[in-house]
Amino acid sequence: MPDLRIEAVVNGRKVARAARPHQRLLDFVRDDLNLTGNKEGCGAGECGTCSVFVDGVLMKSCLMPVAKAQGANIETVEGLAQKGELTVLQKAFHKAGASQCGYCIPGMVMAATAALRANPHADREEIKERLGGNICRCTGYQKIFDAVEMARDVQNGRLPESALDEIDAGEGDYIGKNIRRIDAPSKVSGLLRYAGDMVMPGMLHVHVLRSPHAHAKIVSLDTSAAEAMDGVEGVITCDDVPGVDGFGVFVHDQPVMARGKVRYVGEAVAAVAAEDPLIARRAAEAIKVVYEPLPAVFTAEDALSVGAPVLHDYAPDNITTHIPIRVGDIETGFAESDLVIEENYSTQAIEHAYLEPEAGLGFVDHDGVVTIVSPDQNITHHRHMLAKIIAKPISKVRFIMSPVGGGFGGKEDMIYQGMLALLAMKTRRPVRLVFSREESIAVTAKRHPSKTTLRMGLTRDGRIRAVKFRMVCDGGAYGLSTEGVMRKAAILGAGPYTIPNLQMDTIGVYTNNTPSGAFRSFGALQTQFATETQLDIAAERLGLDPFEIRRINMMQAGSQTHTKQTLKSVSLGRCLDAAEQGSGWEKGAPSQRGDTRKDLNRDDVRPAVSLGARFAVNGKVSGKQQAAE
Amino acid sequence: MLTCDDYITPASLEAAFAAMETHCGRYRIVAGATDTFPWAREGRAGDVHVPVLIDVAKIPELNAREIAEGRVRMGAATPIQRFLDDARLAAAMPCMPRCAVWFADDQIRAQATIGGNVVNASPAADGTPPLIAHNAQVELARRDGSKIARRTLPLTDFITGPGRTQLAGDELLVAVTCDALDGYGGSFEKVGHRRSLVISLVCLAVLVKLDRARRVIEDVRLAIGGIGPVPYRLTDVEDFLRGGDLSAERLERAAEMPVSRIASRTRQDYRREVTRGFMLRGLVNAARAAGASALAGELEAAYA
Repeated sequence: MPDLRIEAVVNGRKVARAARPHQRLLDFVRDDLNLTGNKEGCGAGECGTCSVFVDGVLMKSCLMPVAKAQGANIETVEGLAQKGELTVLQKAFHKAGASQCGYCIPGMVMAATAALRANPHADREEIKERLGGNICRCTGYQKIFDAVEMARDVQNGRLPESALDEIDAGEGDYIGKNIRRIDAPSKVSGLLRYAGDMVMPGMLHVHVLRSPHAHAKIVSLDTSAAEAMDGVEGVITCDDVPGVDGFGVFVHDQPVMARGKVRYVGEAVAAVAAEDPLIARRAAEAIKVVYEPLPAVFTAEDALSVGAPVLHDYAPDNITTHIPIRVGDIETGFAESDLVIEENYSTQAIEHAYLEPEAGLGFVDHDGVVTIVSPDQNITHHRHMLAKIIAKPISKVRFIMSPVGGGFGGKEDMIYQGMLALLAMKTRRPVRLVFSREESIAVTAKRHPSKTTLRMGLTRDGRIRAVKFRMVCDGGAYGLSTEGVMRKAAILGAGPYTIPNLQMDTIGVYTNNTPSGAFRSFGALQTQFATETQLDIAAERLGLDPFEIRRINMMQAGSQTHTKQTLKSVSLGRCLDAAEQGSGWEKGAPSQRGDTRKDLNRDDVRPAVSLGARFAVNGKVSGKQQAAE
Repeated sequence: MLTCDDYITPASLEAAFAAMETHCGRYRIVAGATDTFPWAREGRAGDVHVPVLIDVAKIPELNAREIAEGRVRMGAATPIQRFLDDARLAAAMPCMPRCAVWFADDQIRAQATIGGNVVNASPAADGTPPLIAHNAQVELARRDGSKIARRTLPLTDFITGPGRTQLAGDELLVAVTCDALDGYGGSFEKVGHRRSLVISLVCLAVLVKLDRARRVIEDVRLAIGGIGPVPYRLTDVEDFLRGGDLSAERLERAAEMPVSRIASRTRQDYRREVTRGFMLRGLVNAARAAGASALAGELEAAYA
């Protein structure tokens, strides 16, 4: 293929070098120029981590063929603070706490820079609008908008430059203070290297061959054509695992790569390490796998039915975990109740969608230590598991946690680190794997989809007498964190309320869906969605204020939880008071307050989404274009 | 992942046709390229190898714009952003600035082109309803021996279905021409799941021209997208409104008219509600932009 010769100015320096015709500007900047401040979060123009200036105009470099940048003046995030001094905007991001995981931040800083260049007086609505092409998963955006407004005001002289300085908190006095994050400067400048930004001399690129089937027997697996390709340095399958092949947070039921059969679409079957990512990709395509599809099961209910396909021999009933908790006698409790409500609740799978797709490096160091660098939320446990998988003493296994570009629980599983270790050992060269966004979504754990039946009995004055709670969760093809999620759901799911008679069952089930795993709140969300909704229903039926019904039932200092923990202190009352006050709550049962809610549409409530702020006259958006959500 | 063996950036229409002839059957045309890379990914076309990509965005004719004799002629490679920063274009196409501000995001519309939006022929394309409201025609060119042969056809004929057009294999879309509607008030309404980077569930372009007293609708153009396989003009509503008073009662009747025609594949009830609201809001906003002084207060409060 005829290479292009790209001549451009990048961050003020002349660049002239060959590029491959299919390269995107993003590839050119990151891979060829080693300017890794701007990231690839999606590769589809959706996330904005790749935003760079091309001739002064902000562009998504993942959507731009490198040939379009011919002769252009390109400015990456590294170009902003070139003299080592952060720009006002970067300082404001630091000050406002706008950078958390930091992965969206280089793109966000670029978009904010573009917004204030376009309109140095942009108001908050216009800032929101102009930053619309950039996604953040950590902050909820408010701190980012705070930072841009702060920078605008400093630039316009409405705030002194000292507004960007750190408040002197005093030695050891941090609680309740705005303390700046010490890692923020490296994030706002784009200098921090995440795993996918790291390169090592002689590094190979990994591509994983994944299952197209939800449940199938692997009849044969032939890697010879892939191994014969030029540039391919190593191909691995489950046959390359020297030790005990299995990982998971609680039960080690998942092989590093499929062994004998595949249990979900996207499961790793083989992996290739090659001189460049394209060769690795082509080689993975050349691996011949013959599958024999097996009956598959896609809902927890079906998996529990008699005669359902069995995923794991050790669990013939397809149950990963069942946590039963019994307190008192629920039949007595329901008999004492004036009102019994039974409802069904369901929640769906949710993707974490951290801006940083999974990535990692593996290498064997000079002492023979197998080393893994990845944004791994559980390195110590993974180190122990990997030692058994590769049959090495723990002293010969090392895990280094790279900066995590958002985790939220989704990076607790050792889903790819085993392959990096095996390929590094096989090729004796450093190897790097970077997931595509599609791969990240297809392969990694999701929040457990749940189905709950909740029966609650209360007396007329709002006291809970009995709760029967049964939640069945789709745990997907492998255990991962399911057991822990079920445990925490059983512990917290009935809420912070004194319940004299309780029957609680949380059940995690194997299916041929993408595995479910850890996700913020870890089982509390699914259960508390049911419990809290049911309390609102009960409040309405009993003519009670929703805050009041919670106060009537809340645990107090000295209460014992249903798992027999005695509470020394309880802050729920203060929490309810603050929520009631902060929301301007109008007292009364939901059914008694009439059609007009005075607590809504207040001036201090965030307005509905609007567009066209840049056409605003005197701060008023003409022809209010509110999205009819 | 998209791969290619060669990426050609012709500097003239002649050079583009020469490249198309040389690589006949082995090329794909790109302009802004903002849909090309996402297209070649898992879940859409998957890994795609195109031997030759021909980038037409730097051809001068495809970047030219002129307004003459009541028509706007814009090259197919005109970025969407120009509707926001070219004041003459914005004046001649009064609903386009609002359409542009809803279009993808600030960055993509600096690169994405009007021609690409038309040729992609998405049922939810934001650019198409305003163009249809402007009686847009597309100008297609191909090489015929040593000459370049051109043909022109209405945009409504050019788009034949979702993702389908009348563009022939050896043709390029070189320009889009439109009525210049200076003095009209324009409005563009759109709803999707979020503000930026969102596919329209419904989008509506409205253009209103009022008489000197600002009370009678002299002309009105309405085009809607997202409620069927292709965007279309609401000619019956236009006929009803044209020549009549700008009154709340008449606008409300007009807003009801297209509701029964929702033929989308999904979420029809929701689209009915939205369409009714958009018709009112769009008409009120366009009338205000056209200088309407006395609109029914209640209607304005509710929808403006």
